[in-house]
Amino acid sequence: MTLAGAVTAAAGLLLAPQRTWANLLLACLFLLGLGLAGIFFVALQYATGAGWSVAFRRVPEAMSAVLPYGAAGLLLVLLLRPSLYSWTESLPGDPAFWFKRLWLNYPFFLLRSAVYLGLWILFSRRIVGLSRRQDRDNDVRFTRSNIRLSVLFIVVFAFTCWLASFDWIMSLEPEWYSTIFGVYNFAGLFSSGLAMILVLAITLERAGPLRGYLTADHLHDLGKLLFAFSTFWMYIWFSQYMLIWYANIPEETNYFVRRLNGFWEPVFILNFLLNWAAPFAVLLHVPAKRSPGMLLKIAWTVLVGRWVDLYLMILPTFAGKLPVFGIWEVGIIAGAAGLFFLVVLRALGQAEIVPGNDPFLEESLHYHN
Amino acid sequence: MTRRYFIGYFDHEDDILGVSKAVCKAGFSVADVYAPYALHGLDRAIGLAPSKLPWVCFLLGLLGAAFKVWFEFWTTAQDWPINVGGKPWNSLPAFVPVTFEVMVLCAGLSTVFAFFFVSRLWPGKKPRLLDPAVTDDRFALVLEATDATYDPRLLEGIFQQFHVVRVEERVEERKV
Repeated sequence: MTLAGAVTAAAGLLLAPQRTWANLLLACLFLLGLGLAGIFFVALQYATGAGWSVAFRRVPEAMSAVLPYGAAGLLLVLLLRPSLYSWTESLPGDPAFWFKRLWLNYPFFLLRSAVYLGLWILFSRRIVGLSRRQDRDNDVRFTRSNIRLSVLFIVVFAFTCWLASFDWIMSLEPEWYSTIFGVYNFAGLFSSGLAMILVLAITLERAGPLRGYLTADHLHDLGKLLFAFSTFWMYIWFSQYMLIWYANIPEETNYFVRRLNGFWEPVFILNFLLNWAAPFAVLLHVPAKRSPGMLLKIAWTVLVGRWVDLYLMILPTFAGKLPVFGIWEVGIIAGAAGLFFLVVLRALGQAEIVPGNDPFLEESLHYHN
Repeated sequence: MTRRYFIGYFDHEDDILGVSKAVCKAGFSVADVYAPYALHGLDRAIGLAPSKLPWVCFLLGLLGAAFKVWFEFWTTAQDWPINVGGKPWNSLPAFVPVTFEVMVLCAGLSTVFAFFFVSRLWPGKKPRLLDPAVTDDRFALVLEATDATYDPRLLEGIFQQFHVVRVEERVEERKV
């Protein structure tokens, strides 16, 4: 799958360069989002002293292994195709844009990107590394230092994720701005990350390694989190939409006008059907949150929804009047998916599937809600 | 009509959970359990059906939301149309935040009141307590002596396994 994706990407670069680059950007952001959601989930558990999630913590830890790959891909896109960002060529001369002219300059942009990516990779390596060392050394010290690291990471993540969303996605349309955009991207990132944790954990339980460790109570809580964050995503989506709709200022509404025109509208509606309506309607009911089969279906729905969400953020800038969907879209995202599962499975193989020496493991195994 | 109750008092959470499970397994029906705080897993231990409160919450929330959408439509578009920033009269996006708040209010309040109603709680109600200790540090399991299968000796045997503190039989006259 990865190879097929690479071949598609290579062919696409020759045949339909702009669309392929945009899709590569999308794929890299998807991968980075999943990796970040993984390490953010782990950090959240450490920072809050949560015990319930220890039994399947290796899953989000393994997801963060994809960060270096996403980072490399993204840096390639930014270095080789700066013209994706129209501001690298020219910015409107309006005096209201003085700050944007200062902020959006190419060397500073690359430097910022490198700093965000570097910080994320550094933190995730350290946290995952300490967690794995505890398997061998059986020392509570590692849990303590991970708690400190996690708190620090959450603060760093809040700022970098917010700025990165502005830099990499929002600046595709340099005249448009929305202060909530970083939160919006975070909401999508985390709800798709939770969906991926569910997919991997349930698959591992069915295949064997997590059998006996992952219980219906764990799934119930993950289901609740997915339900909550998909609703949070809708809340932020609507907050952004309503303020722009109400104020009706041309440079702001431009973003939504483009996404509501003609055949973009069905995609626009599909976005919140997949990301919110489906998970909300299904996961409202308790038995659904405890049923692996149902959770798996909803998790995949949300993951497809994340793709549609990113597609709607990125592609309208390049595709023009009609939404495009074809070999370049399918091939590249399939390649990214192949790469993701390859990397995550390798990372899962590198350590014990359950952190046996974690002081909270007992609590997690006997967890009831 | 008289009713006979058989009551066991226990000191520990584990004991009350264990004994509830054991008597249910032995075929007795539990009339009630008194505890100083909410016990996790007790509903499953005495075989209670899942609560119906979520349905009350869901339906009344839906009702509140529907009412609010209609009310906003009526006030801004029908009864006294107001032009706000050149938007259409019935601008749905503008209704969403208030509809959401009213839905939460209706769902929340109705759930609390439905809970009071089904558990027959109201201001000034006289509490019927087995023993003041169940509000402090003791747990009590109440069984009703109903039919021929009821056997106090068997029950006492089960109670002993779970370190029962005191056993009591009560006969209550009840006006029907």
